[in-house]
Amino acid sequence: MKDGTQDIAKDGTQHVATDGTPLLDVRELQVELVTEHGIVRAVDGIDFTVGRGETVTLIGESGCGKSTTAMALLRLLPDGLAVVSGSARIAGRDTVADLAAARAVRGRTVSLIPQDPMTALSPVHTVGRQLGDAIRLRHPALGRAEARARGIELMRQVHIAEPERRWKAYPHEFSGGMLQRVLIAIALAAEPELLVADEPTSALDATVQAGVLDLLMELQERTGVAILMITHDLGVARIVSDRIHVMKDGRFVESGSAPEIVDAPAEPYTRDLLASVPALGPWDEDKQPGPDSAASTPKVIPHG
Amino acid sequence: MPTYLLRRLGQSVLTVFLTLTAVFLLVRLAPGDPAAAYAAPTASAEELVRIRGQFGLDRPLLVQYGIYLRDLVSGDLGTSYSFHSPAFDVVMDRLPYTITLAVSAIAVTVLVAVPLGVWMARRADTRRELGANILTITGQSMPDFWTGVMLLTGFAVVIPVLPASGFTSWGGLVLPTITVAILQFALVSRLVRREMTTALAAPYTTVARSRGVAERALVWRYALGNSAVPLVTAVGTRFAALLNGVVVVEVVFAWPGVGSLVVRALETRDYPLIQATVLITASLAILVQLLVDLLYPLLDPRVRLGKAA
Repeated sequence: MKDGTQDIAKDGTQHVATDGTPLLDVRELQVELVTEHGIVRAVDGIDFTVGRGETVTLIGESGCGKSTTAMALLRLLPDGLAVVSGSARIAGRDTVADLAAARAVRGRTVSLIPQDPMTALSPVHTVGRQLGDAIRLRHPALGRAEARARGIELMRQVHIAEPERRWKAYPHEFSGGMLQRVLIAIALAAEPELLVADEPTSALDATVQAGVLDLLMELQERTGVAILMITHDLGVARIVSDRIHVMKDGRFVESGSAPEIVDAPAEPYTRDLLASVPALGPWDEDKQPGPDSAASTPKVIPHG
Repeated sequence: MPTYLLRRLGQSVLTVFLTLTAVFLLVRLAPGDPAAAYAAPTASAEELVRIRGQFGLDRPLLVQYGIYLRDLVSGDLGTSYSFHSPAFDVVMDRLPYTITLAVSAIAVTVLVAVPLGVWMARRADTRRELGANILTITGQSMPDFWTGVMLLTGFAVVIPVLPASGFTSWGGLVLPTITVAILQFALVSRLVRREMTTALAAPYTTVARSRGVAERALVWRYALGNSAVPLVTAVGTRFAALLNGVVVVEVVFAWPGVGSLVVRALETRDYPLIQATVLITASLAILVQLLVDLLYPLLDPRVRLGKAA
């Protein structure tokens, strides 16, 4: 791939023209993690693809291997603690086989939106510094001032008010939802073809979750970026996905289009997941209802 | 911020005052007689009484203390018994040497131990890291008089490239600096290693890696930036300790610093000199700690001085 030399559209059409393969093509992916209790097979031979502009969701409960899958295909699992086999081709380059390929696609072809925005940015560097770094990584020729102008434009695109003032702010001065928007802006700075969204709304308040999902879909509509969504919330999956893979114990138990999975789940496990979605709001995922969540639940109005 | 600074300065003055009071009492409670140390061995009892009167030591303790405080407020730290000159001047003559050695030892410590700690963090739990640990801990465990003598033997006697003692040229600074720095390597490198290991495993490092930030920037900018507060704290504390003088190293290398001065003052029961040394070095150490605290908000924007408990 000719990194950083072409814009997305040109790059994209080129790949379609040359090989016609999916943007992300995962084959026989297997991940073994070294833990205190011995070696655990966290991902046990899964296959899936994500096409250009498509949203594919991996859904399952905690520990089913969905986040491990996302981290494995970006080669972000700790080297000594994870053994990854199979293949994961991102725009034709196998990141499992080749660390250099993983490094080449990170921050260019593919971006990550992390699980917990509150811990995902360095607390001692300004938001502008970290966003500016991401921009200059994609466009090394840009000067500081140009990177800043572009960064402020990106912050505006993710609906952060007063981006000029916030450029110099530190992560602890933002709310969780605002930080997730900053992280989305950082992800977009790569001008990626694929966004890997690892539970992007799980750490956020129910009301803020809706806004972040709306933003992701709006950006997808505008830029045509493909999304690999990792979630445990079928409410989220239903709204954003073209296709859904239901994951349990490192394997897919059921795969299909979003309507198929939601309206006619074949597996009991999928039905359990569906049953765990609160009736009143698809983004409300409070597992232990307390006085607060009980009070706020009726206010959540589904957008979808 | 100004309130915080005033409060901290007030605390510092109180700390120095309490330290002085303790030292004033302790030196007088300890056995030994300044007059006996000062006078000739053959001096008569009358002679000793006369000297005690001359030093003002025949008065009640409380009166001595009052006079001491009165003089202190007017900037008079007393006259050294053995040097026959103002105690303040005697200490100030030695202080530049102590500061020079402390600054140079801390600089070498940081230049060696920080990269070493970073290297250890990146090779955490390997044999090489273990080797580095063994080396630095050996350095820390060796008595400084022994390290000093070994270095002297090696580089001033066997291969005579450096001066053996004193501070007549910058070359004279090398061996004392290394001797002091070797004692600090283990502590600082292990601290850096621990902080860096935590920072490199933190989510923000993984996320930065996911957006293509190069490993070198991850290590030196992100991880080290996030380790700055504990690192500066540790280095500041070590530096403050070194300002009190390093007695053994000063003796081995005939280094004219405060450490060897205080030993001499203690031997001769030179009360004004002991008190002046403690006052000046304690004030310096407290000042360094204060400066370190003032650095925190620059190193970590989440720190707001005076807001914490």
